[in-house]
Amino acid sequence: MNFKVVKDAFIIAALKSLPDLKRNPSMMILIGLISAFPLFFIIVFGGQVSNGLVGAMIATISFIGLAAAIQDISFDRYVKIREMIVAMPVHPVAYAMGVAMAPFFISAPGLVLFICIAIAIGALPLLSIGWTVVALILCWAAGSSIGFIISTYLRKASVYTLNNMGTILGLGLVFLPPVYYPEEMLGGYRWISMVFPTSNAAGLIRFYAGLTKIPAETVLLRWLILAATVVVSVIILSFKARWRED
Amino acid sequence: MEAVETEDLFKTYGGKEPVQALRGVNLSIKKGELFTLLGLNGAGKTTFLRIVSTQLSSTRGTVHVLGHDVLAEANEVKKHIAVVPQDVQTYSNFTPWEYCYYFSLLRGMSRSRTIEVSEKALKAVELWDLRNRTCVGLSGGEKKRAIIATALASDADVLLLDEPTSGLDAVARRKVWAVLRELVEQGRTILLTTHIMEEAEMLSDRLAIINKGNVIAEGSLDEVKGLAKEKFRVVVEGNLRDLTLKNQNHVSKFGNKQIIYVGDEDEGLELVRTALKKGLRAEIARITLEDVFVKLVGGIEDN
Repeated sequence: MNFKVVKDAFIIAALKSLPDLKRNPSMMILIGLISAFPLFFIIVFGGQVSNGLVGAMIATISFIGLAAAIQDISFDRYVKIREMIVAMPVHPVAYAMGVAMAPFFISAPGLVLFICIAIAIGALPLLSIGWTVVALILCWAAGSSIGFIISTYLRKASVYTLNNMGTILGLGLVFLPPVYYPEEMLGGYRWISMVFPTSNAAGLIRFYAGLTKIPAETVLLRWLILAATVVVSVIILSFKARWRED
Repeated sequence: MEAVETEDLFKTYGGKEPVQALRGVNLSIKKGELFTLLGLNGAGKTTFLRIVSTQLSSTRGTVHVLGHDVLAEANEVKKHIAVVPQDVQTYSNFTPWEYCYYFSLLRGMSRSRTIEVSEKALKAVELWDLRNRTCVGLSGGEKKRAIIATALASDADVLLLDEPTSGLDAVARRKVWAVLRELVEQGRTILLTTHIMEEAEMLSDRLAIINKGNVIAEGSLDEVKGLAKEKFRVVVEGNLRDLTLKNQNHVSKFGNKQIIYVGDEDEGLELVRTALKKGLRAEIARITLEDVFVKLVGGIEDN
């Protein structure tokens, strides 16, 4: 990957985030609020705030990453901005990375806030921050990659269909698996949490934060599954994603 | 070396019922000229432009832009082209300045060069005063000009513009025309598609008419107009039964008005005189590009 690809990715990320942030800064608060919303119920109904904060972190990064990957690309196709970019000396990887990074920029303040709160209340030991960040990055990468696969394979779907799909899938991946709640609640079906990148990353963060106990070999397996989700998604994408249409 | 050269270009869209969009198109567009591609909806204009701009694969044939093959050397081609797609829309939260700025940065320009070309392009399309207004607050014409400014700011040698003035009012359209001609005078090459015949007449150095994927006419405006055997048109308002037409003239009828195509000026003047004597309104003019276009694509029936 050369320097121009990285530079272009940052330009596209800036293009897709800075005007939004400049004119609509409240969207940062909105994204944080959506992710923090379940915390309200967790607190009211006596759940563990520490588990909820892990969920809020994952939701902030993965929901917006996945939804943006689907919605931004389908919207760019709809308004034909994509046609202008395809005809420019921009690598498709730079475009994909830029589209994925833009929501990362927008959601970063919310994410930092949740991490700070988690540290402040003792839910996230300082020593676990490194692993937490790596898990969050992989979760974001997996969510974005899945989003890219959907928008690439459903090229002919309308922008409205893809928008709805992005939102439904994003919400589904964040609220159904054990992201806001501990995976122990699934009992014998606890393994399900490893299937979804969101709950898998949440489980890893909880493990490093000391909120749950997972055998060492399972921790390794979880990292492998999370990394494999990203790698497999990228491989699938590389087969189908083409700058030039057939 | 030509700016754009296609040889035996075919494009078939697959699916249950394959559609042949291009059927052996051979076109050669010289450097520094404004070349217009005319055609009915679905004639293949956009397909042609998308293949030239590296967005779409051809089924057969070759395309070269400034000597570079669009398939084998797409990255090299992309350095030299800028595209305004058909029906392109804007991000509502973007300003014209941001369009020019970010898209120029993506072309690899330095920041100072980006600022310079963005300013120049926005001034050229008369959007400088509105450069910091978001697109949601701009008129349709202003949004279109913002996109055109993005292409202008690219410094690209070849501009591929797919119906760039569609939806613009006459004043906005003419402003764009002036900009395009100015660019050609500066040495840029423009490949334009349009439905507006006056636009093609006013702007084109050369043009081609494409119909059902085939180029059916190509040349300068005079050369293309020369393809029609009728050289003049007489517009008559009133009942045509009062006139006796010779030579099996072609007639296009629109309610009470009709266009009668005649071979030469004398025949036309005679027709006007006769019509006036019968109390009908009549006027003669040279045939327009639109007349020739409609005739060539089969839109004029014999009288």
